[in-house]
Amino acid sequence: MAGVDDFVEADNAEAIISRIEHKSRKIESLLKQGRPVESLKTALEGSPPNTRDERCKSANWIVVHRAIMAIKDFDALFSSLDPEYYDILMKYLYRGLSTGDRPTCDQCLRIHERLTERAGLGCILRTLADTVNTV
Amino acid sequence: MAGTLRLYLTCIRNTLEAAMCLQNFPCQEVERHNKPEVELKTSSELILNPILICRNEAEKCLIETSINSLRISLKVRQADELENILTKKFLRFLSMRAEAFQVLRRKPVPGYDISFLITNYHCEDMQKSKLIDFIVQFMEDIDKEISELKMSVNTRGRLVAAEFLKQFI
Repeated sequence: MAGVDDFVEADNAEAIISRIEHKSRKIESLLKQGRPVESLKTALEGSPPNTRDERCKSANWIVVHRAIMAIKDFDALFSSLDPEYYDILMKYLYRGLSTGDRPTCDQCLRIHERLTERAGLGCILRTLADTVNTV
Repeated sequence: MAGTLRLYLTCIRNTLEAAMCLQNFPCQEVERHNKPEVELKTSSELILNPILICRNEAEKCLIETSINSLRISLKVRQADELENILTKKFLRFLSMRAEAFQVLRRKPVPGYDISFLITNYHCEDMQKSKLIDFIVQFMEDIDKEISELKMSVNTRGRLVAAEFLKQFI
């Protein structure tokens, strides 16, 4: 059974990585048009949920990181981001905070404060407790 | 500078409020034993994801939770060699008197300067909000303490050198 899962994983990994590359091109074009909020939405949308493949997660993290660093206006971000993305965004924020890179950490800390005000402590708790869908 | 400190402490405070959900849980392996699961990490279903919050390359905070205990490890900013030595000695002084602090861990987790271990018993005896206030206050005060110590060392050194060199005038 585990063998079948691994086989399926390998196939999916390639498909996911090509999807992520496609996504990153779309995000670059959105950023050039000056729409950082849409680019973040696009980045969070196709997040691969159940892969255990580190490459997919790293590839998706690079894309989300690019979108997060481009955000300047936080109020606009939260007024237009759907609540269903709050959990995934929180997971990516904690991944950003663990990198230790100064500008990333500054940006992530700013967004984290606002996101906690909006989404509450439950959002943080779901990040802590969710061992299946890690980012 | 002060802005990022405030954000960093707010982030840690929010994470601790969410993570401090502890209840009594007797050991599953050995009967009649009650151990802090975050220290042993024997069963994966009892521990939650660890969270690392970095303020910059030098300062970070690791928060690990489990069902009955929570471990917070801090790495304090150390700008130069003198601050390095002062931090190590000062925090070792505190850790040796961990009994008085109750929530302090005698040895810091490898890679960090100081660690706290909060168990469900602490949460039963003391208020959760006060515990979190204590930790955040500790983080604020440690920076002030270290810079005060550094200044007093430098002042004393200068005075001693001046006295000693007077005899050669």
